Amino acid sequence: MIFKKLLAGVALSLLAVPGIAADAPVAMIVAQGGLGDGSWNDTANAGFEAGIAETGLEGRAIESNDVVAQGEEIMRRAADSNFGLVLSLEYAHGEPMEGLAPDYPDTSWAIFNQVRAGDNIASVLFGEHQGSYLAGVLAAKMTTTEGVEGINPEPILGVIPAVKSPGIDKFVVGFIQGAKSVNPDIEVKVGYAESFGDPTKGEQMANAMFEGGADIVYHVAGGTGLGVIAAAEASGHYAIGVDTNQDGLAPGHVLTSMVKRVDVATEELIKAYAADKFPGGETLKFGLPENGVGLTEMEFTKDIIPAEYLEAVEAAKAGIIAGDIEVWDVSSQGYPDFYN
Amino acid sequence: MIEQILASGVVLTTPILLAAIGGLVNRQAGIVNIALEGKMLVGAFVAIVISAATGSWLVATLAAALVSMVIGYGFSLTITRLGANMITAGLGLNVLAAGAIGFLMSYAYGSSGTLRLPDVALLPHVFPQSVESVPVVGQLLAHLDPLTILAVLAIAVLPFLLGATRFGLWIRATGNAAPVMLAVGLKPKLLQEASTAFAGFFAGLAGAQLALASIGIFNEGLTAGRGFIALAAFYFGRDRPWQTAAACLLFGLLDAAQIRMQTVGLPPRLIGALPYLMVLVALVVSQMRSLRRTQ
Repeated sequence: MIFKKLLAGVALSLLAVPGIAADAPVAMIVAQGGLGDGSWNDTANAGFEAGIAETGLEGRAIESNDVVAQGEEIMRRAADSNFGLVLSLEYAHGEPMEGLAPDYPDTSWAIFNQVRAGDNIASVLFGEHQGSYLAGVLAAKMTTTEGVEGINPEPILGVIPAVKSPGIDKFVVGFIQGAKSVNPDIEVKVGYAESFGDPTKGEQMANAMFEGGADIVYHVAGGTGLGVIAAAEASGHYAIGVDTNQDGLAPGHVLTSMVKRVDVATEELIKAYAADKFPGGETLKFGLPENGVGLTEMEFTKDIIPAEYLEAVEAAKAGIIAGDIEVWDVSSQGYPDFYN
Repeated sequence: MIEQILASGVVLTTPILLAAIGGLVNRQAGIVNIALEGKMLVGAFVAIVISAATGSWLVATLAAALVSMVIGYGFSLTITRLGANMITAGLGLNVLAAGAIGFLMSYAYGSSGTLRLPDVALLPHVFPQSVESVPVVGQLLAHLDPLTILAVLAIAVLPFLLGATRFGLWIRATGNAAPVMLAVGLKPKLLQEASTAFAGFFAGLAGAQLALASIGIFNEGLTAGRGFIALAAFYFGRDRPWQTAAACLLFGLLDAAQIRMQTVGLPPRLIGALPYLMVLVALVVSQMRSLRRTQ
């Protein structure tokens, strides 16, 4: 299937005027989990489609069953097929991209959630730690609120990350730091699901945390997290969604979602590329100040959240933007003393 | 705490147990079924699609079992009639199942990882919510679904079916001495095919249980290696129903326990590996025992 898509890409690029980079079609390599994940890939794809619609460029989303192991192969074939810009959503493609980009000086490359060296590579970073901090502030405020159904008096929260890695622990540590800023004695239970695609495991882990006194569980686990949300709905407690607005998956039981605007990033990259201003060699940051991350509007839960909590979240946001609050970033600073 | 571990452990045991039931009968007939994982995945996919389309968990479960049964039968033909190596064919089927589902998902639903359909009917709970007040097993009973009960019943009657019925004895004779079966005028290949279809049926049920027990979402990683855990379980149980069920339960309970141990701050990687480690230890111990017996 990829082969077909690439062939289509070759055919398209033959029609395009060769030599002028910004006319060559655009490719986006879909990460593990695939399209339809209602999360990272889908959001990126929305921005990708908006970008190609706006610029009039031709574009293809490339999918593969073995996207990690075949990473280099997929990227080389995309460049050989005259795609002018190749975006990869797959984290594991960073290293091979750095290695192969010099072989394709006329192709523009983009990678997410990491910084890679190369004059034709744009690195995109998100401030997930900052967005998670806000989620932590809100959750810590909520967890001791009296008179809210599904909330118990104990100051206990939960986080279910998929795997132990700096890219994921960035969320976890930001969340813990935000929660502790509200209540230094708060307990945050952390349980790794060891999978991005096992909702059954996610559900069981969330149940274990709810039984242990937690009433709000933040998931950073893709498809596994769908089980966390299902458990929150079934038990009457709360989950916090991640990457996209997941509030509607179990209305009233997803307190909020930590949204990561990868769609803004993909769209801007394509527009910059079309205007011949591709930020090769640069690192783009999409943090709180850039509206690259943030919490949702809490469409289904705003009635149970006291206004002062939302003000506290806004104050934390302003503090982070102003630089008064520094949120620990595991991906660039390593692990802090309060979390190993 | 014990209450919850029991309840959660049973939830985690059922899909493995259902798959292992089919696998052990299959192995008694002389076929090692590596493809349980793939057939579980097919079962889960069919269950979600049919449940969303019909709104009936029963129709969805039966459809999942039947589709996996037909696939299991077809798979056995490559081994019995065409002489394919059973390990290679099994691995091939796992790859094929994952690939075919991936293709169907992107072709029919425009999605490549997760399939979320509206109005998926989930498995009902057998007992009313009020049984929750029963001490120790209340939680477990309140979440009990029909497929878990079916699995327990199957384990209860299998020793009789395999040990005291004509068909059961034929199955076992096929696995132990196929030429003898031929000599007495029976058809061992046919029995092997039937047992593989049976394994497919139960793997389909396992997939349906995984998909419909509580989440109602299909994900390409949904089975998460449970088909291979089932394989380990019936090896450990030496194809005997009770011992196999015990191995499945051991794994399910350990998995439920490790989830809880993690949240109190023990190192996650180590704790996460615990259930697999214990199964390994159990395999070694059982092997050493049987060696001692033969000496």
